[in-house]
Amino acid sequence: MDRRSLLKAMAGAGALAAGPSFPAPALAQGAAKTLRFVPQANLANFDPIWGTQYVVRNAAALVWDTLYGVDAQLRPQRQMVESETVSSDGLTWTFTLRPGLKFHDGEPVRARDAVASLVRWSARDPMGLMIRAIQAELSAVDDRSFRWVLTKPYPKMLLALAKNNAPCSFVMPERIAQTDPFKQITEYVGSGPMRFARDEWVPGARAVFTRFADYVPRQEPASWLAGGKQIAFDRVEWIIMPDPASASAALQNGEVDWWENPIADLVPLLKKNRNIQVDIADPLGNVGSFRMNTLHPPFNNQLVRRAVLMAMNQEDYMRAIVGDDDALWKPLPGYFTPGTPLYNEEGGEVVKPGGDLAAARKLLAESGYKGEPVTCVVAQDQPITKAQGDVTADLLKKLGMNVDFVATDWGTVGARRASKAPPKDGGWSMFHTWHAGADCLSPVGYTAIRANGDKAWFGWPDSPPVEAAITGWFEAATPEDEKAAMRRLNKAALDYVVYVPTGFFLTYQAWRTSLSGVTKGPLPFFWGVSKSA
Amino acid sequence: MLAYAGRRVLATIPVMAVVALFVFSLLYIAPGDPAAIIAGDQATPDDVARIRATLGLDRPFLVRFGEWAWQILQGDLGTSIFTALPVTALIRQRIEPTLSLMVVTLVLSIAVAVPLGVAAAWKAGSLIDRLVMTLAVFGFSVPVFVISYLLAYVFALELEWLPVQGYTPLSAGFWPWLQNLILPAVALGSVYIALIARIARATMLEVLAQDYIKTATAKGLGRRAILFVHALKNASVPIVTVIGLGIALLIGGAVVTESVFVIPGLGRLTVDAILRRDYPVIQGVVLLFSFCYVLVNLGIDLVYVLLDPRIRY
Repeated sequence: MDRRSLLKAMAGAGALAAGPSFPAPALAQGAAKTLRFVPQANLANFDPIWGTQYVVRNAAALVWDTLYGVDAQLRPQRQMVESETVSSDGLTWTFTLRPGLKFHDGEPVRARDAVASLVRWSARDPMGLMIRAIQAELSAVDDRSFRWVLTKPYPKMLLALAKNNAPCSFVMPERIAQTDPFKQITEYVGSGPMRFARDEWVPGARAVFTRFADYVPRQEPASWLAGGKQIAFDRVEWIIMPDPASASAALQNGEVDWWENPIADLVPLLKKNRNIQVDIADPLGNVGSFRMNTLHPPFNNQLVRRAVLMAMNQEDYMRAIVGDDDALWKPLPGYFTPGTPLYNEEGGEVVKPGGDLAAARKLLAESGYKGEPVTCVVAQDQPITKAQGDVTADLLKKLGMNVDFVATDWGTVGARRASKAPPKDGGWSMFHTWHAGADCLSPVGYTAIRANGDKAWFGWPDSPPVEAAITGWFEAATPEDEKAAMRRLNKAALDYVVYVPTGFFLTYQAWRTSLSGVTKGPLPFFWGVSKSA
Repeated sequence: MLAYAGRRVLATIPVMAVVALFVFSLLYIAPGDPAAIIAGDQATPDDVARIRATLGLDRPFLVRFGEWAWQILQGDLGTSIFTALPVTALIRQRIEPTLSLMVVTLVLSIAVAVPLGVAAAWKAGSLIDRLVMTLAVFGFSVPVFVISYLLAYVFALELEWLPVQGYTPLSAGFWPWLQNLILPAVALGSVYIALIARIARATMLEVLAQDYIKTATAKGLGRRAILFVHALKNASVPIVTVIGLGIALLIGGAVVTESVFVIPGLGRLTVDAILRRDYPVIQGVVLLFSFCYVLVNLGIDLVYVLLDPRIRY
């Protein structure tokens, strides 16, 4: 019996057991002004530009504000910016900051802070890099205004500044923002609704945020990263709990208020507790994936990649990840987030429900596959990648491929996948991961969809049709043009098999019913949440 | 005695040097790359390469080792790659919870295990003996995490007597400090109690069979005097040894216990650092643990001399 099974069994028994309970002083709740939150992962560093992990971005959204923010309809809205103008030729953008904005050290937010922050952000962000490539000038006009002059129009400017993909364009004081983007900042001074209590930070255990009294929220209602970020708490405490069973017990006991990502095994138990509310965390969900290395045999052969794509049964992958809960997954014959404006299934007929093993075997035979080993590196310490890796190993064997299954940890996968060496010399053939649905709305920040060879994400796909479709989307002037480009992109990416989408899946979040105002979104939004005593 | 202690302390220096070289070499050849973890899953290969360069991970082994050794000699354990905090600060943050857990576990274990072992030996073959040995087998056989969950379920979730998780510093008061440690200490102590009780029983049985005990009994000496003055003192050398060696078990067990009960101790710091390949932290903590082992062994050797004057080096 493993830990998870044991806890499940014990916790299940606990839920059914009836009997008196005696509140103990040890379990006394904190004041209603403190929110105790269990995040998805450890906040191991706190520079949202240097390290782009989701957990860092989520914490950063409390501390640093952005010039614009996407709302729940995925539209960019003004946030720190009061107004903007763009010249008729689309080349000169002028932004004016809202008056009265202050950093946590009491200094006013000035245009030159925004400029320095944009310089640092744009060195690390895919959209930022695109803007840098066409940048003629980025400078402060006065304390409240700055100007960004381009050599060609960039219609997605506001989306670039508003998007929630990491790295977001957080605004820091100029002296901090001047840090090399590849070096970590050591001062955490923002102008967001909460301060980071650095002296209380115990990496791996706890991170504390305290209310910033001088924060000036916008007057509109909050909506995701946009609108008035009203915080009802004096303190937000992030408690890092590596053990899901302990997090579940702490939530049931009232020692914590909100758990960002309860594991699927424990959700039925939490749903039975009338003091706990369970709901989908993020309607944009996640896209499961495995990536093939196009530099070396056998996946340098497009027909082999297509054979694997055809053979794959997404239901196998999704059940391995979310279990029997059908509300948590759906098939995904493409690369973009279902239910969002640019989603399409162009070319998706190749991804058949149940897979088509017979056709895939035939195609594999035609491809000239000579039994080269497929080195499949799988991070066993990540439940989602492990589950997918197990399914893939079985799939490849059924397909008649020679599988070299390398079970290891994420730290090793992360290093090994960066190697371009042949698999027998320490390289790899395939690895598994998943992409946040929020990153798969469009080509913005969607690193895995790029197919620009050496500059592409690990696996280094090289497909001019894919790249042409991406360029077409960035240059699209109308929604219709955007949609047409996205259809071309989905088809081209499936034809080439940039990666194999294993399905779309959702996860839950859970919180005590004493909390209200918890919303669904791509990150936990603390504004609008309150707690009864 | 002082000269002996001095020689033993000096002997620790080469041991620590070998440990340092070993740890550094192991990390150098181990797979994994902190830069890839820092960069995040969506980073490009170029991002990873740039981060590697800024961290100095692309420099030769000897250069890195030399710099690190020089730092250590100056009393600087370096800076965490991930948190940008000094390793000494991270250890300072984490040492109190781990020390607290170890002290409470040790006190609890010795207080329970030694009397149980002595009683089992004194009443060898009786129901008490069988009961103690059954408990010892249970303590050995059931993994710490199973006991941890059982305790959390009964005493935290069902009875609500104690908290599920967390740590309160001693500065916040004795009871708040202790109440967070009771469940983890019992869980962690289960193995330790079993180990000490078995050794205490076996050693006491051996001592009780000695002629001088028979002589003492024949002289009409009372049970207490025989047990606690003559037998236990002479049986204490192996018991002290196992208590000392058991600290190794405590450190290993603390990793699991700290994770289950969400105690921000050195065990969790080590595991997190290993998973992230935070080399300076791993090196710092391993050096600290090694130093502790050496100190514990030194302490045991010194206690031997105090307990048994016949032991001379």
